[in-house]
Formats: sequence, C-alpha cells, structure tokens
Amino acid sequence: MNFLASWNAILTIAYKEFVHVWRDRRVLLMLIFVPPFFTFVFGHAFEVTSIRDLPAMLYDADHSPDSEQFVEKLKAKDTFVWKQWQGDPNGQIDLLRAGVQAAIVIPKDWGKGLHDGDPRPLRVVLDGTDSNTAPAIQGALQQVLADYQMITRDNVIENLPEEVVDLGRNLPKDIRAQFGSIITPWELKSEILYNPKLMFIDFVVPGIVGLILQLLTVTLIASTITREREVGTLSQLLVTPLRQFEIVIGKVLPYLLISLLLIGSTLAVGYFHFGVKFHKPVMLSVVCFLFLLCSLGLGLLISAFATTQTQAIQFSVFLLLPMMLLSGAFQPLALLPGVVQAFSELFPLTHFCRAFRHVNMYKADFAVIRGDLIALAVGAVVTCVAAGLLLQTNED
Amino acid sequence: MSVKASAGASGLREQDFSACTNTRTQMSDPLIVLESLTKTFGKTVAVDKISMSMRKGEIFGFLGANGAGKTTTIRMMCGLARPTSGRGSIAGLDIWKERLRIRSKFGYVPQKFSLYTDLTVLENLRFFGGAYRLPADQLRRRVDRTLQEMDLGSRKDFRAGSLSGGYKQLLSIGCALIHEPDLLFLDEPTTGLDPVHRQQIWDMLYEFSQRGTTIFVTTHYMDEAERCSDVGFIHEGRLIAKGSPRMLKQSLREQLLEVHVEPAMPAMVELRKIPGVYGVDLRSGRLRLHARDPHALLKSWNDHWPFVGLQWHGYAWVEPDMEDVFKAYSQGYYLEDQAKRGVR
Repeated sequence: MNFLASWNAILTIAYKEFVHVWRDRRVLLMLIFVPPFFTFVFGHAFEVTSIRDLPAMLYDADHSPDSEQFVEKLKAKDTFVWKQWQGDPNGQIDLLRAGVQAAIVIPKDWGKGLHDGDPRPLRVVLDGTDSNTAPAIQGALQQVLADYQMITRDNVIENLPEEVVDLGRNLPKDIRAQFGSIITPWELKSEILYNPKLMFIDFVVPGIVGLILQLLTVTLIASTITREREVGTLSQLLVTPLRQFEIVIGKVLPYLLISLLLIGSTLAVGYFHFGVKFHKPVMLSVVCFLFLLCSLGLGLLISAFATTQTQAIQFSVFLLLPMMLLSGAFQPLALLPGVVQAFSELFPLTHFCRAFRHVNMYKADFAVIRGDLIALAVGAVVTCVAAGLLLQTNED
Repeated sequence: MSVKASAGASGLREQDFSACTNTRTQMSDPLIVLESLTKTFGKTVAVDKISMSMRKGEIFGFLGANGAGKTTTIRMMCGLARPTSGRGSIAGLDIWKERLRIRSKFGYVPQKFSLYTDLTVLENLRFFGGAYRLPADQLRRRVDRTLQEMDLGSRKDFRAGSLSGGYKQLLSIGCALIHEPDLLFLDEPTTGLDPVHRQQIWDMLYEFSQRGTTIFVTTHYMDEAERCSDVGFIHEGRLIAKGSPRMLKQSLREQLLEVHVEPAMPAMVELRKIPGVYGVDLRSGRLRLHARDPHALLKSWNDHWPFVGLQWHGYAWVEPDMEDVFKAYSQGYYLEDQAKRGVR
C-alpha cells in the first residue's frame, strides 16, 4: 500500500465531505451560530444555583410587633415573590390553585409565645413535586428565622436588667465562659479549593462542550455513510479502489476540523463571557482531541450500522439521551448510584468531563487522567475500525 | 434499426444458445467467466446458477424483465454483493475474493443516478479520478477529455443534481470511465431518457467498444438489444438464452404469425387459451401469435374456425424482431419449449 496514494485518497474523500457541509448552508449556519448561542444560554441557565423569586403566600394571624418584624425580614429576601393569600390558614391549603410553591402561616399569639418561653412553630406548606425546591425553601425559611432569633437574642442581652448582669459577673468563670460560648453562633471557617468562587459554569463547561459536539457533529456524521447508502453513492465508492480505512479517515477529517472550531467557539464564549479560566492548554487540547475522535467514531459507527438516515438520527438520539443525563456532564457523577456510575463509564462524555475537570479545575497532571485518556483512545479506535468493517451497501 | 454490432462473425459462434451452461467455450481470451453464480436473499433466489463467458471487445446486452436478476448479477460481478454460491472471474481474478484488485479494472454505472448531487460536474469527475488514484497530471487530462467526450464542457460548473436526465447519465458514464477501464458495466443506462440522448449514449458505447472497451449493459429497449454483439436473457434468475440478436431472432422463425381477427381484444384472450400458443400480443392492430407449431394451427383453423364471436380476416408470416424475442424469453414461454426438448 503506497502511503502517499492512500493519503491522497483520504484527502479526496475529506475534501468531498467538506464540500457537502459547506454547500449545505442551513447546516453551516447552524454550526456557526448554535454552539456559541448554546454556550451562552446553558451557561446562564446553570449559573444560578440558589433559588429566587418563588411564588409564595403568607398569612399573619398574629399581627404582633414580632410577627411584623419577622415578615419584614422575610420580605426583604428575594427568595420569594408574594402572592395574595388564598384558603384557610388552619385547614387545607391548595398550593396549585393559589399558584404558589409555599404557604407560610404565622399562628395567633406567635409573638407572645416567643416572650412567654413557649415559641411555637410556624406552619409551612410546601410543594414537593420538584424534590429540590421544598428543602431549599425550608432552608431559606430556617435561615430567616435563625437570623431573626439572633436579633431578638441580641436585643434581650442588650436590655438585660442590671441585676442580671451583676449576677452574671458573679458566676464562676468557667460557667460564664460556657454560657458565653453557647449564646455565640458556632461557625465554620471553610476554605474552598479548586473552584473558590463556586462558579458552576467552571464545572459545567465540559458538559456544554460535550452536549454541543454530540448534538451537532455526532448527528451530522451519523448520517454521512447512511446518506451515501440511501442515495446509492456508497456503491460507487465501493467499486473504486478506495479502502475502508481511507473512507473512514477521510470522512472523519473534515468533521474533526469542524468540531475543533466548535470547541474553540464554545470555550471562547466560556472564557470571554463567563470568565472561565483555562489551565494547562496542551493537556486540555489532548483531552478534547481524543474525545472528538471517540465521538466522531461513535457517530460513524452509528452511520455504518444504520440502514437509513432516519434510523441513524434515531440511534443518535437514543444514545445521546442517556449520555447527557448519566455522564456527569451537568451534575456530579458521584450523585448517581454505583451501578449507574459503572454504566456511565461506557460513555465518552463521562471520561471527557472527568478528565477536563481534573485538568482544568484540579490542575491535575497526566497520571490522574491517564485512565480516561486511554478509555477515549480505545473508544476512538474501536468505533472507527468497527465502522470500517460495517461499510457495505444495503443488499449485502 | 441498427444491426451493425450484431453483424459479422459473432453470429456464427455459440450457436447452441440453449446449452448456455457450457461456459468453457473454446473461444480465446474470455474476459468474464461466470460459473453457477447464485445469489439468494433469504428464500428468494435472485440469481440462479448463471454460467456464461464473455470475450473482450463484446457489447453484451443483458436482457430480462424487471426483477429478473439483472442488477443483482451486475452487483456480484462488481464485487458489491457476495455470491451465495458459484463463482465468477474477471480477467482471471475472482469477483469476490479478489474484488479489491479488480476494482480498478472496470467502471460501473448503476441503474439509479448515484453521483454527488451537491458537487459540480467537475468536482464529481475529480472526486472519482482521485478515488481511482489517478496521478494529478493524468487526472487533469482525463477530466478535460471526459468533459469534452461527454459533451459536458459547458456544464462543468453545474451541480450534478441540476443536470437533466441525459446529462446526468453522461456524467455517470464519464465518472465510471475516468480511469479508462477495459470493462464497463452499465445497468439500464438509457431508462427514462429521451431518444436523442439514448442515441447519443449508444453511439458512444459503440465507439468505446471500437476502441477495445468491453461493455456489459442491461436494457429494456429492444432496438438497443439489436446493437449488442451478444445478448443474454435472464428470467427468474436463470440465464435462459444467450446468443447474437440475429441468431435469437432466427430461433423464433416459423413460430410467429400475424393474424387479423376482429374484434382484437377478445380474440387475444381466446387465442391465448389454445394449447401450444406461447403468447399473443397486440401490435398495430394485428395480433402477433407465438406458437410451437403455427402451421398446425393454421391447418386446423382452415378446417374449422372454432371462435363463434370472432371474425377471421387472414394471416401473414412475420420476421421476428427483438421485441418478439424479449417477450418470448422474458415471459418464460421458452421454458416450456426447452423442457420439452430436454434442456435443463
């Protein structure tokens, strides 16, 4: 096999493939505009991790100075948007009809109870359909309540009668110290490593890159062989002396180039718009490159396997869905059960996200990501070889 | 109707067309040899033990009804489909096992237009030239030559998809010939084309054949079959006859009768029911009757015309043309005849 002749044949295919994309203006526009747009939208979609502007309603049955102060504190927060109260504060509350996710009832004599040594609980009714929101609301309310309690406590201490202060002074030192300790809020002094500003965008960047690449390039390349099969040009290719590997490499090349541009535009939006910092560019490039090869190989495999373009797109979607959800692209893999985690090791996106984060967030060195790189490389080789072997026409 | 290709010595060889299983012909230099070539798809037998050989320089017309197995045979010869059993060779190379080595030796024009519609004429030619690994200078020369030969020079920057049917076909042939192969397979190259382009393409094929290119072509058009040096009939996957057009036509002599019976349509139905009648077709108002022994029929009708509602106006002996031959073979009339003569 003459290497030069092979290389020329590969370039011939690659050029033709590139022209296909270039001539298909709609696809071309999509390739140019969708990735930065997606990055922009997804970046903003995932950047807000605290809850805001939740519809809620409040019923103050107490109307004491305490309850009014508490309500004031509550309304100062942007967690809630307050709606008109509907329903019976002591009976059934219909959150759906009221159009709110939380209902808070301050019971009668609540303020009085606070002073009488009989603090009574606030009644809170929450919507639990989305399992994240209810605990978050609970947390937020607890926080406001605790803050309010601290203010009240400070007031009480401030206005302690002289004799109590004297009494305190006469207490034994260690008891006084312990007393002082328990009325001081205990705190954490936390130090956050790897992503000190807790920017979710830094975490989610590889997920977005993966999402865009899998959505655009994988579905694009997935139809290349099947299209030729459907239109009949595959027969024409297969009667030429072109070898399978030449066809496969020739088809991957232009998409590799396109994907590199897509990664570039995605990361550029991450860098310029979201201020994501990229470390160790060489290693990141290696990670991206192997991921691309692996993804394109996968697309090509789908393409060689499917008999029609419709099928190819269907296969891609069915494969992409679990990949998006289970690869740890948008949430930590550690949150998934062990069996699912093991399953997700099959997806290139899993290895890519992990390796990317190791390099970019942990600034880890090669040894840490070696396993993921090997997995990606093996995936690339296996899928491309399998696609080459499956290159045939429909009838046979 | 042209008969130039069928003239001459070719009419004198392989006379025993019914013994087509005899592939080891004594003729020198068979370019293509097929031996019991068979292809089945599940339970369907698409190609059934086809054996034949083809010499260099021939224009071989492969005739048969739709679904008879023509395309499958060509695809096997091109190495696109794996023979279920049997074997074949082109220039001594096995069509399946050595398909990679054969690929540069032939060109293939499939039935359906199979070029890249979003590429221009020029780009398609260059692409296939590149795929056939032509060196750059040769590629340029071949592309220029093809553009000129195929009358595509003024359309070289048109997208292939925007060409009319005739030019699409010329481009397909151009792409298949870009590497100057000695053998060209064409699967129904003129189906759906206007007469002018059909003529143009056949003139071109004749020219290529004069230059030494062997041509294997399938067609439905019988005037085109006349232009072949040899034709083969395939029916339900089996090659049931092979020979020169002249010879095949001669084989139907004394079997064709043109009868004038009114009204024609009911007459056709009635006549078809007669034992020994292979087929009755309406041609320009008269009925063409193909029977094992028309003499006997005439004799019996002379004694007694059995059809009460039909009026007999006379008859004439007619020279068989390829249309008759095609109908005879493709509708399987001949199978009965062959069975009686002990063939197969």
